Formats: sequence, structure tokens, C-alpha cells
Amino acid sequence: MTHDLSLYVVTATDTVRTAMERIEANKHRVVVVVDQGKVVGTVSDGDIRRAFLHDMLPIAPVTRIMQLNPQVTTETDPAQRAALLQAAKVTLLPVVTADNTLVDVELAYEPGFQQ
Amino acid sequence: MTWGYSRPVIRAIQAAPDMTYSLVVTNQHLLPSFGYSVEEIEADGIEISDRIYNTLDGYTTATMSKSLAVFMLSFTDTLVRLRPDIVLVVGDRGEHLMAAIAAAHMNIPVAHIQAGERSGNIDGLTRHAIARFTHIHFASGPDAAERLLRSGEEEHRIHMTGAPQLDELVNGDYAPREEIAALFDVAPDEPLLLVVQHPVTEEFGDGTRQMEETLEAVCELAHPTVLIFPNNDAGSDDVRLMIERYHRPFMRIERNLQRRVYAGLMRSASALVGNSSSGLIEAPAFDLPAVNVGGRQRDRARGPNVIDVDYDRHQIADAVRQAIRPEFREHIRGSESPYLCDGRVSQRIVEILRTVPLDDRLIRKQLAY
Repeated sequence: MTHDLSLYVVTATDTVRTAMERIEANKHRVVVVVDQGKVVGTVSDGDIRRAFLHDMLPIAPVTRIMQLNPQVTTETDPAQRAALLQAAKVTLLPVVTADNTLVDVELAYEPGFQQ
Repeated sequence: MTWGYSRPVIRAIQAAPDMTYSLVVTNQHLLPSFGYSVEEIEADGIEISDRIYNTLDGYTTATMSKSLAVFMLSFTDTLVRLRPDIVLVVGDRGEHLMAAIAAAHMNIPVAHIQAGERSGNIDGLTRHAIARFTHIHFASGPDAAERLLRSGEEEHRIHMTGAPQLDELVNGDYAPREEIAALFDVAPDEPLLLVVQHPVTEEFGDGTRQMEETLEAVCELAHPTVLIFPNNDAGSDDVRLMIERYHRPFMRIERNLQRRVYAGLMRSASALVGNSSSGLIEAPAFDLPAVNVGGRQRDRARGPNVIDVDYDRHQIADAVRQAIRPEFREHIRGSESPYLCDGRVSQRIVEILRTVPLDDRLIRKQLAY
């Protein structure tokens, strides 16, 4: 299935605070950072915690704290994707095309499920 | 990257029984978004005296200039507080020039590592402006020493010591191949590209196109590639954005790398691509081919490991293909580099700093031309 991406995505010009709000809403502890449709990184609860320990402010752009090399997949088969997600031990795996455009997210549990 | 220049010198100062140092850390070393490399300094167990936050966001020509002014204000207070016998500046950055100006005005002798070399970018001007405020010059080779002399610096101030940033490389202080292979998930039989491309200050506004040409070439070649974010000179946001947008699965992007990992990458890589001075200064120590793009290293002395190209995806891709051929590596192996190092440059520099008489002759400069 294709998910409502707006819940899992922030743009490269968004702030850390926006990422926190989105994570709070999506319950997956991470958001995908997208610039012109392409995946440029991810920001997790842990990234935000580390940023605050470095005295960064919530108004900092997400690009300053994001993981630059997140695992993504171009896999189209749902079963294969689920297996990749499980092997990666993450709550969310961005699904991209060959040129890194975000098309979907593979989720460890469905939206609304309170982890 | 200048930590790689300073660290061996500081270690040599630590080893001298009758010397102490105060280290001032500034600009992007203190910024998490540029990799927070102050952590590397802390991890090395080296004491930091002052942390001077000076960087204005924006990364334009104007914020770059104003950031330097902020640094000079703060550094003056640092000098008032510490009253050092000598201020040692290591490199060719604006902050080094500000430090040299402040110290010279306060009659504190200035010593300068990486003196007398030529290069493009604002750094090339900065280095020679530093020379006018410097009392003790450390040159990396005879060419740099000669240029200092001819630009009016007195002979007794010029010391041809070699390049201290090569000490650690000559002495084998870098991450081994296995560690690099594991860190970056590369197979030993595959070519590995290392890309470091900074904005060029005189070409401000053209960084997007310049980086795009390099990234198009990298995408065409599709070898495993480690890309490192640029420094925070004017235009760095443009370059960084292009790298983010071109991210492909065969690429790894890093904000900053520890010196020993960077050196290990240079040793393991098939070619270095971009416009970092490390392609000209450090790469020869590993017989590493360097595809040097554009004018940032214009006029800098170079050995046969360097292939110069324009901002042109086809030229860049062709040059990389040539560079990673075993015959090219064979051709440059053991060739002479303009940057001299016997692994003891730092000790030589520190010995001069330790013994130079801090007298009127040192502080009162005469320009000889």
C-alpha cells in the first residue's frame, strides 16, 4: 500500500522543531528529509537528542543534523521490502526510484498503532 | 582539515619539557553542521584554551568577511588574557590572518606554517598577507622559501622546514585498508573515488554549476564514492545542496572525517577528485592520482600525480578514467613532490620556536624590497 507521505516527510528547509512535531504525529521516531522530491537524509529522535546535546536550537534547519546516508530501497516487491526493513532494524525504510526520488515508505507498523 | 597541520606540531610542543601551548579553536570546528571536528581535538586529549564562535550563517562573501571581523575582536581579548610569547598560525585561512594582525599590533611575534606557497582562491592572497605580519616563516619547500625572500622578507626569518601536515602520513598514522573497507563498505577490487570540492571565493555564485559538473561525472562513472562536504567559505551552501540532491546508492556523504580516516581513505582510494589542496600536498605521499577541478589550486606547486581539468563533466570523467588506470599509478609512483617531509618537520619547527631569541631583532621587521 502507499502511505500518506506528508506524515513521514519534512523538506530540507524545515526546522528541527518541525521534524519533532512530525515524529510526534507519526509515532515512528523518524522522518525522511526530502529536497525537490529526492531523499537527502533522515532525522530520528536520537539525531535530535544529539543535536540538543551540542546546544543546537529547535529553529536550526533539519539538514544540519540529519543522517546523510540513510538506508533506502528501490525494491518494489512488498514482501522483499518488509524483509529489508526487518533486517535493517528500523521503523521506517524510504522507498525510492533509481534517481533517489521518494515514492513510498515501508513501515514496521501501521500508522495509528501506538508503539 | 587544518587540524592535521596543527596536531603534529602540538604533539612536538608537548614533548618539549620547557614549552607550553594554548590552543584556540574557531569557525567550523565548533559547528555541529560542519561535523563538529572539535570532538576530534578533544578525543586526541589536547587541551583547548579558547573556543571562539565567529561564524555568521549565510555563507556569502559578506558573511565570510564579517565572520572574520568577529573573530579578530574575540582573538584580541584572548591575547590580552594569555599574553603568549609567540602566536603560531597554521595555514592560509582568514582567521589566521586576523590572528597575525592582532598579534603583530600587540608586539607578539607571529610564526606561520605553510608560508610562501601559491594557490588560487582568497586563501592565496591571505597567505601572503599573513607573511607581512609574520616574524618567523616556515616554508614547505625551496620554492616557497625563495618566494618569501623575493617578496621582501628578511632571510633570518625564513626557515625551510618542510610540510608538517605530512609528518603523520610519513610516520604511518592513518586508518589501515581493512578499517577503511569496513567503514565505507567497499570491496578491495573496486575503484574507490574520494571527492572533496570546495566553493571558490572568486567564483562566488558559480558553485552550483561547478559541483553539478563533478557530480554528473561521478554519476556517469558510478564507482563507489565518498563525498565530503565543503568548508564554509562563501558559496558552501550551494555546493552542499548539490551533493545532497545527487545522492545515489553508491555514494557515501560525510560532513567531516577524522584526519586518520581521511588519510586512510587517501591511501585506499583510486583517485581524489575536486579542488582540495590535499590532492597536491598530501596525495603524493600515497602516490594517489588527483583530478584537480577548476581554479582553486591555481599556481600551487604540483607533482605528476595531478591531472588538471575544467568544470566540465566529460573532462572530469575522462581524467578519472585515466587516473585510475594501473599504468598511471605506476607512472607517478615515487615521483618527487614539491612538498618536502622526512617525518620530523614538526620537531624541527618546534626546535626553532623553542630557541629563537624573543628580542628586538625578531619583533622589528624590515621589508627588504
